[in-house]
Amino acid sequence: MRKWTLSLFAVSVALLFAASSPRAAETIKIGVAGPLTGDQAAFGEMLKNGSLLAAEEWNAKGGVVLRGKKVKVELLWGDDRHDPREGVSIAHKFVNSGVVGVVGHFNSSVSIPASTVYSEAGVVQITPASTNPKLTEQGFMTVFRACGRDDQQGEVAAEFIKNKLKAKNVAILHDKTTYGQGLADETRRFLGRLGIKPVFYSGIVQGDKDFTPVLTAAKQKNPEVVFFGGIHPEAILLVKQMRERLGMNAAFISGDGVYVDEFFKIAGKAAEGSYITFTPDQAKIQAAQGVIAKHRERFGKEVGAYTIYSYVAASLILQSIQETNSTAGARLSAHLRSKAWNTALGKIQFNAKGDVLESPYVVWQVKGGRFVQLN
Amino acid sequence: MRSFASAPLLGLWFAFLALPFAGWRGALWTGLACAALVAAARTLGRVLRAEPVARRLAMAQEAIGESWEFMLRGTRDWRVAALVLLGLVAFPWVLDRYKTDVLVVAGIYVMLSLGLNVVVGFAGLLDLGYVAFYAVGAYSYALLSTWYGLSFWPGLLGGAALAAVFGILLGIPVLRLRGDYLAIVTLGFGEIIRIVLNNWDDVTRGPNGILGIGRPHLGDFRFSQPMHFFYLVLALCLITMFIVGRLNRSRIGRAWAAMREDESAAECMGVNLVHAKLLAFAFGASWAGLGGVVFAAKQTFVSPESFAFFESVIILCMVVLGGMGSVPGVVLGALILVALPEALRELTLFRPMILGGAMVLMMVMRPRGFLRERGLRLAEGALPPGVPREEGR
Amino acid sequence: MLTQQLVNGIVVGSVYALIALGYTLVYGILQLINFAHGEIYMMGAYVGIAVLGVLAAMGLTQQSLALSILLVFLVPMVYCAAYGVTLERVAYRPLRQAPRLSPLISAIGMSIFLQNYVQVAQGARDKAFPNLLSLGSFEVMGAHVSGLQVFILAAALAMMAGLQLFIHRTRLGRAMRATAQDRTMAALVGVDVNRVIAVTFAIGSVLAAVAGVMVGMYYGLVNHYIGFVAGIKAFTAAVLGGIGNVTGALVGGFLLALLESFWAGYVSAVYKDVFAFLVLVVVLIFRPEGILGGSTEVDRA
Repeated sequence: MRKWTLSLFAVSVALLFAASSPRAAETIKIGVAGPLTGDQAAFGEMLKNGSLLAAEEWNAKGGVVLRGKKVKVELLWGDDRHDPREGVSIAHKFVNSGVVGVVGHFNSSVSIPASTVYSEAGVVQITPASTNPKLTEQGFMTVFRACGRDDQQGEVAAEFIKNKLKAKNVAILHDKTTYGQGLADETRRFLGRLGIKPVFYSGIVQGDKDFTPVLTAAKQKNPEVVFFGGIHPEAILLVKQMRERLGMNAAFISGDGVYVDEFFKIAGKAAEGSYITFTPDQAKIQAAQGVIAKHRERFGKEVGAYTIYSYVAASLILQSIQETNSTAGARLSAHLRSKAWNTALGKIQFNAKGDVLESPYVVWQVKGGRFVQLN
Repeated sequence: MRSFASAPLLGLWFAFLALPFAGWRGALWTGLACAALVAAARTLGRVLRAEPVARRLAMAQEAIGESWEFMLRGTRDWRVAALVLLGLVAFPWVLDRYKTDVLVVAGIYVMLSLGLNVVVGFAGLLDLGYVAFYAVGAYSYALLSTWYGLSFWPGLLGGAALAAVFGILLGIPVLRLRGDYLAIVTLGFGEIIRIVLNNWDDVTRGPNGILGIGRPHLGDFRFSQPMHFFYLVLALCLITMFIVGRLNRSRIGRAWAAMREDESAAECMGVNLVHAKLLAFAFGASWAGLGGVVFAAKQTFVSPESFAFFESVIILCMVVLGGMGSVPGVVLGALILVALPEALRELTLFRPMILGGAMVLMMVMRPRGFLRERGLRLAEGALPPGVPREEGR
Repeated sequence: MLTQQLVNGIVVGSVYALIALGYTLVYGILQLINFAHGEIYMMGAYVGIAVLGVLAAMGLTQQSLALSILLVFLVPMVYCAAYGVTLERVAYRPLRQAPRLSPLISAIGMSIFLQNYVQVAQGARDKAFPNLLSLGSFEVMGAHVSGLQVFILAAALAMMAGLQLFIHRTRLGRAMRATAQDRTMAALVGVDVNRVIAVTFAIGSVLAAVAGVMVGMYYGLVNHYIGFVAGIKAFTAAVLGGIGNVTGALVGGFLLALLESFWAGYVSAVYKDVFAFLVLVVVLIFRPEGILGGSTEVDRA
């Protein structure tokens, strides 16, 4: 019997050794991380498809030129399920597999803790979608953001409410997430600067279905505008319940998390006339046309809100590898900050924090069952 | 399954069930797959039950059981124990950084499930909000560390103590509740803690969580790599296993077992129920608190999302899958439920589905968990076969 | 505002109560928390969408509204009954003699499985539930009430009345009550216990299906994780009223929804669940078996 046990023990140890034998690195590895499964999988898919387009483009050319050789690009997928802990775990996994750069994560609440791991390991991280200001305020050299920040977005929303809608009574709701509450608070701050104090401010519970109680309470204050910081499932329900259950006709404004076709498709008539702060129409950016067409051809559908951002994030990492002829995080991050880049989103320049210098948020409106950019 | 008619009929049934979700084509495939699976399982069952195979299988099963017993006995032999310990210590040198990190997570879950095992397995109190104490431990260290710069070791004690206090706070109002009423109240308690953490913005910074939590120091040495945490967690796990194992055989352990089997009888035998229940809650909670502090120090970041209800459910699953009440069983359960999702990571989309299916399958095949508690087997022998054990109705 | 909050609460309450009935029926007979019950409700809503899709493709929604509405409820009811029975057969029946917690774990496993199966098969995005009934709306004492809300309340009450009749006036209902009181005795006097358990699961699932379709119509949106939250809420409601007690499930469902509605409207929307659970704890301290629990053995089913 003693032999039995010993051999069992030996076999299991041997298996462990065998499982951890290192592989030869012949590719440039880029990690792509976001909520690939779960309720936010739709966003994860945008990150995935965008980076895939960029990688395939480079590979079609034979790869990235590194030290005189053409090296293929390999993408590694990381499903963080919008869970901060999974995000950190994925970050360790990426660092461990020797990624050079990371496109991700999607949610600010995940990007922030993961950025610590990337920064310690000297891996460049470009997020295509995390808009919470804190991410780049940590002082990490390796962190970049291809999209805008919530404070920029909140400022646009506040000015729109004050100058275009000429509203005085504003109700603010948010979904108590890092993103939603952050956006709502920035909007409230800028509204305050413009001399508007919200008449109603409250969180709601993400995942709930019935928001009529809190909307009924808001209705008592006769708001002309309801601002919502959050993402589309709750926005759809809010706007539907405002219009259909309570007969409220206050204007509805929200942020980029609601820029999803489902918003007007599911909410239908109720969503009509709602405003959303988002980046300018990608269909109008000349440089983006190629990507949009390729995406249609490759995946058989239109690009999502963050697809091109992910494409740009992946392309920037690959391009700077080729230009610096290096995969060292410190050199790449210095190079990324050093100049203005011509990307599918137009000219992009990063500041010292890693944010894009100008983030042109504009206001969109749902008109006739689609999003239309307002001037 | 046999009474459910033959494999093709079963396939047809599942095709019908899948129709509204998978469409015609999907339903067809589902049906075919189900029929094939059932047929395969039946053939396999027949082969395994056939004489020579069955005999050899029974022998193998016995051998595995014996060698397991032998290994358990062996660990009490200092030479074998030293060898096992050496093997464990060698892990981070053999494994890469990521796998070590996974092992650290697994270790934290081992501590958590051993703690919950005291409440559920030993004392028979169904707790569906165990993650609350984990959160209390994590947040108390996070706050003390970021506000007052408290270092890790006193934080470890502080987190455990505070969690124990919360355990008693929860315990007092639920003293009279039994079984599933207790389950729903503990569930509610877990949710209350999470919601408060998510909304008390001034203290917990709400959904943003707390960043920059201090890492542990030992003299001048700073724990930062997964490997360092591996040793920390390993040491804590071994201590936990030792204490929990001892506890089970102690006076209070026997009191818990008596209470679990029959509260009224236990009271008649002189067990102080209030004392025993509160002690179980406090002890289980303090271990969750320890786990929380280690978790906070490892992540350097905590946010309420990490303490959702589902977390309690998973820890409970570890306890029950492994075999309630048995210390090695619970450790095994925790390792399986951490390793399984890792092994399935490549199957991103199907991973949770397979995990759920596997949980059902494991439970149906081994309804009492992988390893049963030792004492329990004696107790069952005393009952006539087929008599269900009724617990706190 | 008071009446409006009352209306808000009552509609949500009828949904909670319908789902809570499923928990309470199964608990009454098996003393098992059917954790996957919320998923059955979610699947009911999805089957409803599938039926609507087929009907719209056939052009039936234009021709006969009454028939379409009947089918939109009937088909999910049939399907969910099938899901419920299969669930019991696969995940619970093999564990009938096992320790109490084992079926709970397999129920949790089933819940994870079903939720993710629907996600894989139907996609993670929200699905629109097309609105068939546009019944208009009217004002009552300053509250905005829609025809759909009245319909939901009426349908829920009709289902509950039907259930009461079934339990108290039919042979099968009597067999259910007998099984709930003492499974062994019921088997000894000739009740087919397995059949009674299957029927119980079927009935609970039918009620969940109705709730699912109504929620789909009411909110116009369905996704694969609605079952989880609704399940926890309904389970809370069942315990609040006294689990195992049919009337208790109704009381618990409406009470929980009203408490939530008023707390969210007057005090704090984010702490409403905290309040609901605190009320539950206080109720259980004074009545450890719920508001109506343990009062009448006759009503147990």
